[in-house]
Amino acid sequence: MSKSLNHLLQDARIWQGHKPQKHASPAEHTGYQVLDNQLGGLGWPKGALSECLLDSCGIGELHLVLPLMQNVAAQGKTIFWLNPPHTPYAPALARAGVNADQLVLVQTHDSADFLWTLENCLRSPVTGLVMAWPGKLATRDIRRLQLASEAGNNVCILFRERRQAEQHSPAALRLELIPGEHQDLKINILKRRGSWPGQRCTLALGHRAGIQASDPTSVIQGPWSQDGAT
Amino acid sequence: MLWLYLHFPHLLLDHVRRSQQTQGALAVVDLAGQAILQVCPEADHLGIRPGMRLKTALGLAPDLVILHLDAQQEANLLEEQARWLYRYAAHITLSPPHGLWAEVSSLQRLYGGLPAVWQTVEQALAERQLTAWLALGHTPLAAQLLAQAGKGECTADKGHILTALGKLPLVAAGFDEKSCTRLHRLGLNTLAEVFNLPARELARRLSPELLARIQKAQGTRPAPKSPWHPPHRFRQRADFIQEVEHAQGLLFALQRILTELEEDLCWRQQDTDTLHLLLQHRHEEATRLTLRTTGPEHRAESFLKLLRLKLDQHPLRAPVISLSLSVKRFLGREAPVGQDLLGDGQDLNEAWHTLASRLQARLGTEALQQLAPRADHRPEFAWTASAIKPASRHSQTPEVSGLPARPLWLLSTPHPLAEPPARWFSGPERISAGWWDGQRVHRDYYIAQLSSGQLAWVFRDIRDGWYIHGWFG
Repeated sequence: MSKSLNHLLQDARIWQGHKPQKHASPAEHTGYQVLDNQLGGLGWPKGALSECLLDSCGIGELHLVLPLMQNVAAQGKTIFWLNPPHTPYAPALARAGVNADQLVLVQTHDSADFLWTLENCLRSPVTGLVMAWPGKLATRDIRRLQLASEAGNNVCILFRERRQAEQHSPAALRLELIPGEHQDLKINILKRRGSWPGQRCTLALGHRAGIQASDPTSVIQGPWSQDGAT
Repeated sequence: MLWLYLHFPHLLLDHVRRSQQTQGALAVVDLAGQAILQVCPEADHLGIRPGMRLKTALGLAPDLVILHLDAQQEANLLEEQARWLYRYAAHITLSPPHGLWAEVSSLQRLYGGLPAVWQTVEQALAERQLTAWLALGHTPLAAQLLAQAGKGECTADKGHILTALGKLPLVAAGFDEKSCTRLHRLGLNTLAEVFNLPARELARRLSPELLARIQKAQGTRPAPKSPWHPPHRFRQRADFIQEVEHAQGLLFALQRILTELEEDLCWRQQDTDTLHLLLQHRHEEATRLTLRTTGPEHRAESFLKLLRLKLDQHPLRAPVISLSLSVKRFLGREAPVGQDLLGDGQDLNEAWHTLASRLQARLGTEALQQLAPRADHRPEFAWTASAIKPASRHSQTPEVSGLPARPLWLLSTPHPLAEPPARWFSGPERISAGWWDGQRVHRDYYIAQLSSGQLAWVFRDIRDGWYIHGWFG
């Protein structure tokens, strides 16, 4: 390398892409070391939007957020579930150690109500985490939500469909979630602040259904195998 | 004893004028719609006087806005005035339709002299944009006569009061018409001249009632007044001269009422969590709105914000002619807890109530739910959703460990399994329960992975087929 180039590299004013910014905005750890490493040792950004893009539920998307939920509930902050696609199952949450008193389920009818509710939740100091299933969102609306989340310093996770990965989004973190072969979850980082995207990692989430990697099946075969599985 | 009398010469007008900012002359006419009873300053300026015929008045001011007298409404209004005056004086007596007595000799030490009492009452009147003529008297009747004549002075001197009373013309003394005429024929024109007549002759020649009235004014005959006590509720009403078509127009009146509510609640050291709002329409049934906050509240500002949301959600069906706000539920005020020593930490409890009230005002009470596990073996009955309650925020959840794995997502109704799962993991877990309440469940549950990669909680029902009941999210 030429001398002048070396000289330039030592200049603090030159930003070097391969070095992530250490002093990034505050964040909550995801609870998964593998993912934290890929996110520059930070985790879910606070005061910014995060997006999880997935095709269908039941691939471990809630378990990805579960350590965060446990943290937030333990701090006595409220977790809002905004328009979830199904009912969050209280016995399972209680088993996972999430205090059900801190969970609030909100159902809205139209998108104006949805945005208004989400904004209000984000701006309140009682909120620790907002999980929202928005359906369709215009980029303009996401920007509005981004501003609201900046005001509140909470973690906000939007669960959206994977085909919306094409759409531009001002969210600070975008994760693409794809189910793996062995009950695991493949995560592609589509966007993150302060560094290059494109990292991938895989989280083993078989334990969410009590499945051990060592014994792949413990089903007691019954009469249903004779007459077909349906 | 010393009495303060407040005479409201045009209470109904004041009431209407402060709920809606209007320009122009206003007058109250009697029930028959013939004669003018009360006039506002603008009307007075145009030459309209009480007692004038309505036709004459309309000739003087064609744009005159006319209000019809409503006795019940006037009585309610007077009681409203007594309510706020009760904060300043303990012994109050109503004198329908236009006046109030307050016993003030016991208040002199509290306020530091009569002028201070006088000033306090005048200031309170000015804050409420009310016109009232004040007068002090050593007897209730003396105070009343002086106030009605507008000759009240801030003095406790009995001689001075009697002199002022003596100067009043006979018409102002409120005698019956017949006696008044007879006294006039005797050549008597002022009260002082009647005071000088011998009592026995007065009773014999005129009437014992007239003597009683004179003695009550002078203080030689007792005239006890029973004290009035405020009922334990809050009710305020605003009437609009021009019908209000948009919710925005109601907010102006609501703001004033809510400020008074806040004052009232502060004075009682109480909070409330329920407001009832009644909107009257001209041709339609009245609209009733109920506003509930999730926690005790007293600040006008937060009530107004919530009401604004509520009115946004419920557009007016028809123009509003009057609104009334009432509060019947009062809660004792709790000292703020959980703050640090200097009190500069944010009160999260309060922030929670603010947020929940806001969301409920816009989305409806049912839109917000809290979940809790319940002791039942049937998966669909093993949880409950309840409307959020402030008291339940720190409840204990029952222990549910020891059960096999449960999914984080539960489908509201089981979904038929369309294709055979790719892999089976665990099962069966047989759940058979509910024979006691008719909701029989007899199923074998498995955990299986579908070909799409989703982990599902599937079951085979004893009667027919395979269903997905949850997702391991």
